[in-house]
Amino acid sequence: MNTALSAKGLNKYFHEPDTFQVLRDVGFEVKKGEFVAIVGKSGSGKSTLLYLLSTMDTNYQGSIAINGTTVTGLSQNELSRFRNAHIGFVFQFHYLLAEFSVLDNVMLPALKLGKKSKELIEAKAMELLTMLDIRGHEMKKASKISGGQQQRVAIARALINEPAIIMGDEPTGNLDSQNTKVVFDIFRQLAHETGQTIIAVTHDDEFAANCDRIIEMVDGKIMS
Amino acid sequence: MANVNTKISWVYLTSKIRQLIVAVLSVTFGISMYIFMNSFMNGVNGAQTEITFTTMAHIRVYNELGGEPTILIPQNGGSDTLLSVSNARHISYTEGIRNADEVVQVLQKHREVVAVTEQVSQNVFFRNGVTKVSGTLSGIAVTNEIRMFNTMQYMTEGDLNELERRSDAVVLGTGLADKLSASVGDNVTLTTSDGVSKILKVTGLIQTGTGSVDKSRALISINTARQLLSKNKSYATEVLANIGDYNKAKAIAGAISPDIKYKTEAWQEGNGQLESANTLRDIIAIAVSLTILIVAGFGIYNIMNMTVSEKIREIAILKAMGFDGKDIVQIFLVQSVIIGLIGGFIGLLLGFTIASIVDRIPFKIASLDTLPISYLPADYILAMVFGLIITFVAGYLPARKASKIDPVEILRG
Repeated sequence: MNTALSAKGLNKYFHEPDTFQVLRDVGFEVKKGEFVAIVGKSGSGKSTLLYLLSTMDTNYQGSIAINGTTVTGLSQNELSRFRNAHIGFVFQFHYLLAEFSVLDNVMLPALKLGKKSKELIEAKAMELLTMLDIRGHEMKKASKISGGQQQRVAIARALINEPAIIMGDEPTGNLDSQNTKVVFDIFRQLAHETGQTIIAVTHDDEFAANCDRIIEMVDGKIMS
Repeated sequence: MANVNTKISWVYLTSKIRQLIVAVLSVTFGISMYIFMNSFMNGVNGAQTEITFTTMAHIRVYNELGGEPTILIPQNGGSDTLLSVSNARHISYTEGIRNADEVVQVLQKHREVVAVTEQVSQNVFFRNGVTKVSGTLSGIAVTNEIRMFNTMQYMTEGDLNELERRSDAVVLGTGLADKLSASVGDNVTLTTSDGVSKILKVTGLIQTGTGSVDKSRALISINTARQLLSKNKSYATEVLANIGDYNKAKAIAGAISPDIKYKTEAWQEGNGQLESANTLRDIIAIAVSLTILIVAGFGIYNIMNMTVSEKIREIAILKAMGFDGKDIVQIFLVQSVIIGLIGGFIGLLLGFTIASIVDRIPFKIASLDTLPISYLPADYILAMVFGLIITFVAGYLPARKASKIDPVEILRG
């Protein structure tokens, strides 16, 4: 059980406007606690690959197993529950719910999971907010804090259910160099200290260079 | 888990107060109009029926003339016999009901019958000086008549009970009194179709609200009427009965008729126009008010659709975080159901308020003082039910659209 994620023989086609093969026989494994960057030029298929791994896109050939569970072939509702419990997401844009407080935003996935009492969830959320240095802003509306803070709130939200894997789609794409460093350090710390696996698609060469491993995509294939 | 969805619905709902108010108001307006329209139409129907029943009974028993003429020569069936009666006619018949007491007893035995009275009616001429007016003279059993038609209420002058006390007393319809230029205390002469004359003293005036009746009818005591016709003490031209629920008249008349050898007629048989007018008014009221409710439904549909479009990214992220299609439907459906409930309850109150204000608007025609309004619980229940069904449908369509959003498409940008 040292493998966090394994992908075998992934093929994917886009049919609009013309049929086009985005992924060609992609297969790899990621170990637990690994911090992996997926890089590549635009159109190389790196984002597409991430969305397949995220279980949100189910239209592909091949198989994906996360934490020992084969997710390929599960129903949409089963996948929803699986994502809720095992995967955390950080996107380029924070996608916080603007009308909710910072604290509510962080708590939502855990309330949905419903495994802990509201008090425990709130305590856990406050702990994460403290760790990410947003303490004191928790009662503000999510739309009223700065971009860097918003991205950190989004990370806290991704972490609330203690997922095995955190997936990032350009998680630092919208941030200045200082905030990029902050986010990078948080990921690094999570991977090394709590053993959470991190897979991030990035354009940022410096970000990628500091990761444990780089998967480079070219024309729908893995290079390295 | 349901709790989280409700919480999200609530935050979405309360974050746009103005939009919420508009949506709630559209439901409120729809439901209150539904209630008002139906209360008013029911009130009108009720008033109409009430006026009608001031002079008409629910069930009427009388001796129907006509039918096959008397058979003068019995058919003896021989094929070589030719039998011909030309211009066949009745040669003897009984007018009216000879033994009315028997009929009264049969009617009173029936559980649903609440009041029974006998009448002796005839067409007569009234004269006052040179004025000569034809009209109907109704001999009434005063006590029973009052119990049945609440006749006292329609007396404009004089006392109806005077008829019991003096045999020459007559109560005239207001229209008839005008035609005769007679007022209380005057003497009028009447002549029956058989040529019997009698001088009567006007002791009261009555106005029932039905113009044709008020212009032609006069009331005397039933015993005086029997005397005028030289009939026995149990004679009546018709026996009238009222029942608990006038809508059941047909069924009850049908049930009673085998026990009575005379014609038993429910009020609907002679008054089809009343029943059809009531039904038509109901149809119009329901059609108009449902249209208003459906327009309100379009309003909610529109608002919910806008909300879904606005929140499309948030819906995508909720789905990414593990909310499934059912959760999304719930989040948006709960919003429109809350709008329906709030709007509905305010609508019930507003509808009641409008109805009771209209109930106070003066409207002095016939026996009405104010516009007629009825307060039926069924109208309020139906208004709420229709309101909730419409908001549910109007909310479900956008909610289903939201649940079908593909998060990948939205999040990849």
